[in-house]
Amino acid sequence: MVALLALVILSQAPAPAQPPTPAQLPAPEQVALPPPGQGAPELVPQLPVATLTPATHELFERIKRRVAQVRIIESRSGTKSSIGSAFFVSAEGHAITNYHVVSDLVLHPEDYTAELVQDGQEPVPVKLLDVDVVHDLAVIHLGRQVPDFFQLLEKPPPQGTRLFAMGNPRDLGITIVEGTYNGLVHDALYDRVHFTGAINPGMSGGPSLTGEGRVVGVNVATMGNQVGFLVPVDNARALLTRALAAKPEDSTPAALLDSVRKQLLEHQEFITERLLATPLPQQSLGPYRVPGRWMPFLKCWGDTPHDPEAQYTATSYQCSSEEDLYLSSDHRTGAVSYSHQYLSSTKLGALRFSALYSAYFSSDPSVVDATRDDVTNFRCHSEFVSSGGLTLRAALCLRAYKRFPGLYDLVLRAASLPSNTQGVDTSFMLAGFTPENALKLARHYLEGLSWTK
Amino acid sequence: MDEVIFLEVIEGDAVHARHRLERFPVTVGRGYGNDVILDDPKVSPVHLRIERTEEGGLVVRDLGSRNGTFRMEPWARLAEMSLAQDARVMVGDTVLRFRGRSYPVPEALEAEAPVGPRQRIFERPQVFLGALGGAMLAALLSSYLTRYDKTDLGELVFSMLLPTAMTLAWAGGWSIASRIARRQFYFRAHGSIGSLVLLGMLCIPGLMLVLSFSLAWADRRQWLGLLCYLGLIGWGLFWHLRYVTRWDARRLGAIVTAIVLGLGTLIQAQEVLGNEEFSYSLSFPRALLPASFRIMPAASVDEFFGEAAELQRQVDELAKEK
Repeated sequence: MVALLALVILSQAPAPAQPPTPAQLPAPEQVALPPPGQGAPELVPQLPVATLTPATHELFERIKRRVAQVRIIESRSGTKSSIGSAFFVSAEGHAITNYHVVSDLVLHPEDYTAELVQDGQEPVPVKLLDVDVVHDLAVIHLGRQVPDFFQLLEKPPPQGTRLFAMGNPRDLGITIVEGTYNGLVHDALYDRVHFTGAINPGMSGGPSLTGEGRVVGVNVATMGNQVGFLVPVDNARALLTRALAAKPEDSTPAALLDSVRKQLLEHQEFITERLLATPLPQQSLGPYRVPGRWMPFLKCWGDTPHDPEAQYTATSYQCSSEEDLYLSSDHRTGAVSYSHQYLSSTKLGALRFSALYSAYFSSDPSVVDATRDDVTNFRCHSEFVSSGGLTLRAALCLRAYKRFPGLYDLVLRAASLPSNTQGVDTSFMLAGFTPENALKLARHYLEGLSWTK
Repeated sequence: MDEVIFLEVIEGDAVHARHRLERFPVTVGRGYGNDVILDDPKVSPVHLRIERTEEGGLVVRDLGSRNGTFRMEPWARLAEMSLAQDARVMVGDTVLRFRGRSYPVPEALEAEAPVGPRQRIFERPQVFLGALGGAMLAALLSSYLTRYDKTDLGELVFSMLLPTAMTLAWAGGWSIASRIARRQFYFRAHGSIGSLVLLGMLCIPGLMLVLSFSLAWADRRQWLGLLCYLGLIGWGLFWHLRYVTRWDARRLGAIVTAIVLGLGTLIQAQEVLGNEEFSYSLSFPRALLPASFRIMPAASVDEFFGEAAELQRQVDELAKEK
């Protein structure tokens, strides 16, 4: 159960990179799970569309056999280590779920197996056919015919459509939850449908459908308080098409791992192209110009804390994709973030300001989660660099992915040498890029720093 | 054997008691009727006798003691043994050695050139006060410069007085050692040495900071810092011990060097030999000083990113290790 909670919490939009400052930014709503039973059905707006749909209990009766619980079985203990939901999409027994539900099967095929439990029936082993790590989807296959399965919706419904999310929240049995379709999340790095309704841990991989029983999206994450997210059904359809066309050897553990690697490579190529095709806007911080909001998917926040006791002012400015890709419960990738600190003081002398400035430069931004099995330690190269009329003390750090050769995390840290008693310090973090792309982006970023006067 | 021999009671390597034997026979044992009395509970009241033979030699004869008399080389129980120069026997737990007057002893060791008493520089009052004052000033400055919040006078004074008090206590400890070993306190000398070591300890971090920033050092800074600290500790230890012991300078130097090298090895062994722990930490120098301190030229952006290939090679190497 604990593992399951973590799964869903962690598959949320991540917190922005913490600024290396005591200052607290008005963080975007943090992911927190609502306590069980904290539903607020009266908050769901009464829309005319809702009156067109059949009664929920009739709908549920009709489709409950199309949804099942996925159990990930750890072979040594012989029991479930995490759970999720899945739904059938073909008569041959193909079902769709989330990648994060079955990630253990991809990364540790020797230690984990999966089984599907339908209401009141014995568990049946299932095989993992294909995954889409970028959209957090997976296709599993039950080795027999199923009588009943879902149709996927062709066209997105209008905003406000009454939807029904299904799944097995917290191992309590198959349930149905009413909610509303609220379109795609704006300016997101990864396409997500905003679903206003209660999605809870364990419902991951379950469907959200219209009143006619057509699937609109796959339950994937929640921010609590009725803010839920779905993977758009188009991505699920694409993956299903691919899985149906695939040969048996494409679903061996090695082939799946290689497929994940290719998807990550393709994805970072796509982000790199998008970023490089967009001119990097500049933002003023004191007399410095620093990289501003590069693309809409980056969310930027800033603040200058006012402390009457402080001998200096520190202005922070940080941008982050606020989203990443789930590889395993403790390894994330596919994130872009950067932050700046502008420090100035009229009260400190040059040497004391240097001590302050060094202390700020000594704290690093947080990087994406990973363990010893996933990545190496960082190695850094540091030098004085002159760029844009500034002399910087800069450091470039890399760490390699162990399971996915060719992918790296990069951190670029740079601080202008203090001029009188002011300076700007910046960090840039990329997770899951090839060195070529990461360096291109880092270089572009570093050249975005300059002195205005 | 000579007419006069010496019976020596040996303890470890040293002679515990020495008896001059002129008239024979001589009896040895725990009883008060003996010529040589041994306070060893395993020695019999009348244990052995040393007699002169007709030929003029000497023999040791066991007088039926309970625990017996043993010759040392080769180890054997004896009833009778004729004495040679430097012969050793064991009775109970006691080793006895016999030497005649003709036993040769080595030449006297050469002493360092004798010098008249002279005052070393550390013993001058002005040196002591100057060193202590310098250390106090350095403590004050380093505490002021490394803090960037509002100046707090109380904290500043405390950060100056604490190391001063510690130095004086340190000097006091060494003085007591000097008093015990050399019957003189030498407090001023120990105070000057302690203050100078403290001054060095306070200056090294600043010096390293400036050096590593100016020359853009990354790894070398750590090694040079360690070397400076060890050198300073070695110097302090040498002079403190100089006032405590009467060893000659070369011997003392060798001992101090061994201690300092051992300490350095101990500190570094873990780091050099241990496995690298997994962490997210980025290790590169963080010092930022005003631009005028910089000596190393700045690289161009091209040169900076040119180093990335080497980084990639290093992390690929790590990834292979698993």
